[in-house]
Amino acid sequence: MSAAIEANGVSAVFNQRAGTFGVRRRVVAVDDVSLTVPEGMALGIVGESGCGKSTFARLLLGLLAPSGGDVRVGGQVLQAMDRQARARLIQPVFQDPASSLNPRRRVGEIVALPLRAAGVARSERRERALSMLSRVGLTPEMATRYPGQLSGGQRQRVAIARALVLEPRILICDEPTSALDVSVQAQILNLLAELRASFNLTLVMISHNLAVVEHVADEIAIMYLGRVVERGAAESVFAAPHHPYTKALLASVLTPEPGLGLPDLPLGEAVPDPANIPAGCRFHPRCPVAIPRCATEAPARGDVECHLVQSVPT
Amino acid sequence: MRTVRRLPLVLGMVVVGFAVLVAIFGPALVAHDAFTQNLAHRFVPPEWLAGGSPAHPFGTDQLGRDYLARLVLGVRISLMIGLTAVVLSGLIGTTLGVLGGYFGGWVDAVVMFIVSCRLAIPIILVALTVVFLVGSSLTVVMLTIGLLLWERFAVVSRSATRQVASRDYVAAAWCAGCSRRWIVLGEILPNIVHHLIVVATVDMAIAILLAAALSFLGLGVPPPMPDLGLMIAEAKDYMFFKPWVIEIPGLALFALVLGINLLGDGLRDLLGGESGG
Amino acid sequence: MSPVLEVRDLRVRFGSMAAVRGIDLAIERGQTHCLVGESGCGKSVSALAVMRLLPRGAKREAGAIRFAGEDIARLPERAMRRLRGDRMAMIFQEPMTSLNPAYTIGSQMTEVLRAHRGMGRAAAVERAEAMLTRVGVSAPGMRLGQYPHQLSGGLRQRVMIATALLCEPDLLVADEPTTALDVTVQVGILKLLADLKRDLGLAMLLITHDLGVVARIADVVSVMYAGEIVEHAPVGQLFAEPLHPYTRGLLRAIPVPGKVRRGEKLATIPGIVPRTEVGFRGCAFRDRCEFATQECAEPVAERVEGAHHWRCRLASGWLEAA
Repeated sequence: MSAAIEANGVSAVFNQRAGTFGVRRRVVAVDDVSLTVPEGMALGIVGESGCGKSTFARLLLGLLAPSGGDVRVGGQVLQAMDRQARARLIQPVFQDPASSLNPRRRVGEIVALPLRAAGVARSERRERALSMLSRVGLTPEMATRYPGQLSGGQRQRVAIARALVLEPRILICDEPTSALDVSVQAQILNLLAELRASFNLTLVMISHNLAVVEHVADEIAIMYLGRVVERGAAESVFAAPHHPYTKALLASVLTPEPGLGLPDLPLGEAVPDPANIPAGCRFHPRCPVAIPRCATEAPARGDVECHLVQSVPT
Repeated sequence: MRTVRRLPLVLGMVVVGFAVLVAIFGPALVAHDAFTQNLAHRFVPPEWLAGGSPAHPFGTDQLGRDYLARLVLGVRISLMIGLTAVVLSGLIGTTLGVLGGYFGGWVDAVVMFIVSCRLAIPIILVALTVVFLVGSSLTVVMLTIGLLLWERFAVVSRSATRQVASRDYVAAAWCAGCSRRWIVLGEILPNIVHHLIVVATVDMAIAILLAAALSFLGLGVPPPMPDLGLMIAEAKDYMFFKPWVIEIPGLALFALVLGINLLGDGLRDLLGGESGG
Repeated sequence: MSPVLEVRDLRVRFGSMAAVRGIDLAIERGQTHCLVGESGCGKSVSALAVMRLLPRGAKREAGAIRFAGEDIARLPERAMRRLRGDRMAMIFQEPMTSLNPAYTIGSQMTEVLRAHRGMGRAAAVERAEAMLTRVGVSAPGMRLGQYPHQLSGGLRQRVMIATALLCEPDLLVADEPTTALDVTVQVGILKLLADLKRDLGLAMLLITHDLGVVARIADVVSVMYAGEIVEHAPVGQLFAEPLHPYTRGLLRAIPVPGKVRRGEKLATIPGIVPRTEVGFRGCAFRDRCEFATQECAEPVAERVEGAHHWRCRLASGWLEAA
């Protein structure tokens, strides 16, 4: 199976300045990340706020040029492709459909926008947009409404219809269900699964919700402070996490099972700050099992980046 | 409750609407010509004062010209100046602001530098120089104000653009392969236009007052054209003896500017509430 | 023992929209009562009504709110203000709604003590420091001199909790206190709330949409739908045997690692929450319910079986029958 999308040593570094005379901060949001998603697979990227997962999504979409490394889609460097070609290959679904749909445009126009940019004729645009709306479970009447007149779930369906109307090969979903209610979340997850099968999509699903990712993804990458600290097949990561951070993350998932009480999380209180990444292993200030070596020496690159995990059978 | 909150808007719309109607149809409806002098009938008081006559409802001025005819024409000229100045400054300011806000970086730095330069220029002095060099005319006044009053448009459209440009629908349009031109005109502009309407009303009021001030200083509309400011200027010599010659254009100017400002306030409340500030 | 908070037939409307349609609540000392539901179900409005903090445009119509035996539904605003922040306190999803960005943590915390307890400055600072230590804030002396924006989200939440608990209230109302936080931080805050409840004997009303949080922290659960409590039971019973079709649908819609097979469809609840006008009759869930009959358009009586209450025409055991 060939790689649909791959990141080769991708970094994103920002120079932030707090105020006009503030101190310059060098923020390393994504630090030398390499990931490959084979054709038709679903990769889940999990991490907490500030781990760089949303920046990584913007890199994959070409919304942001990497400070180092490159993103390749079907073997071609994304930044070197023209945007119309990119649009046919890769499309986004963002977290908050209230912000991802232009409030001054009708649903029909929103869904047809990628077609318009691609120069498709008006009558064909209309037809394809309407058929896409019905594919995501919306009625043709919705095409004349404004996003403000729709529910959250309907809006997210519109966003998905817009993303798929050019029939791209890859869908990058950045927290697609975080802004939705539980029952609506289930509808959207089912819809994504169904569309993924029928369009043979490659999916990158970014979320802070492990349960959601577990339900969708074939492979999982856990990010912490800009790096992927553990990756592997979804089943094995969930069944046998290796990295102490992955373990903590899994332990903190509150399943609806009364009687279990609240888990013990032996994590330190240190707040991860991408402008001030700790030396050595970046997780060591919060790590419950850190040894002196962790504070000085960065762990070797690999599927699990931890000094205490020697080798992971793959 | 709701009607009380809408009151400024309604009041502003009534005043501005009336002024616009007066400006369009007034000159044709008033029986007298605004320029015909009649030195035998100087300072005829308005109809409601002793000695007034129904022939001149607002009286006549120091040259015996019908004051109503001059007032109506004055409103037309003041509104014309305001409108032209706002359209011109709106085009300049919005273009600069949207460019700075959308592209950021050095483009933004350049825009902000131009805005700072503009703020350092005193409008009255520039107007004085221009009038000295090319002579005063209605066109000169409109151009001078229009070319100098765009900074509010620039600043507001810049910050609004920055805000809108960070929304995900702009990112989605980018990913959809839309051109920059489309993104700016089709995605960003429609979402900042309500801010610009409010700025337009504020700037229109300012432009009208500025034009009046220029006319008052003798730098604006050249006589015998009646501009509200010029009427006040011409009346100032007689104000202690014939107070109504300054009261009538003064009140008209006050009402017009107040009306425009109320309209702007009302629109801001109305449009701001819709988009959540 | 009489409950700390007892709410009877609380109704709130926004214009012609009935946001809360007659709910009953009773919370005892040392009990965590979770009010759970999806957005727009009226759970936050209910909490604000209890605190008498309803926004403009909202109208509380009927209902008694008894706090420590006293009906506070008609208490004058002055007396209410004395009560809030002293014997009843509230925390929010976004700490910045209750922390003032212009003042240091210290001045905000001591202000509470000086206003409600008449404490001197030194004593107030000492108490504030002790409280920060209690909620797990390290270097409390330094934190007192900092402004809210200098703290991380989790820390801000702890500071807000500490401020709310300064006067040792009897009732703590927490509206989605961990929704904006990372999962690992959420666990810490929930643990803190659970510990504080136990140690201080708080009665806690926790508003959340997250059934995972409910399962792990609640003693008693009330499930809200379209302004009504449709089911109410001790936490174990509710999760083991949900009796309202809505609760059951909600529980089945959550992906649970290891429970739903990967790739398998999640159960969903079709349709959307109806707009309930004043005078709405019958079960609000009937349009989305697979078991609905014509009977459901009539007002539904509450069924009670032991501590389990639910508002449905279906008797317990309907699942096996279905």
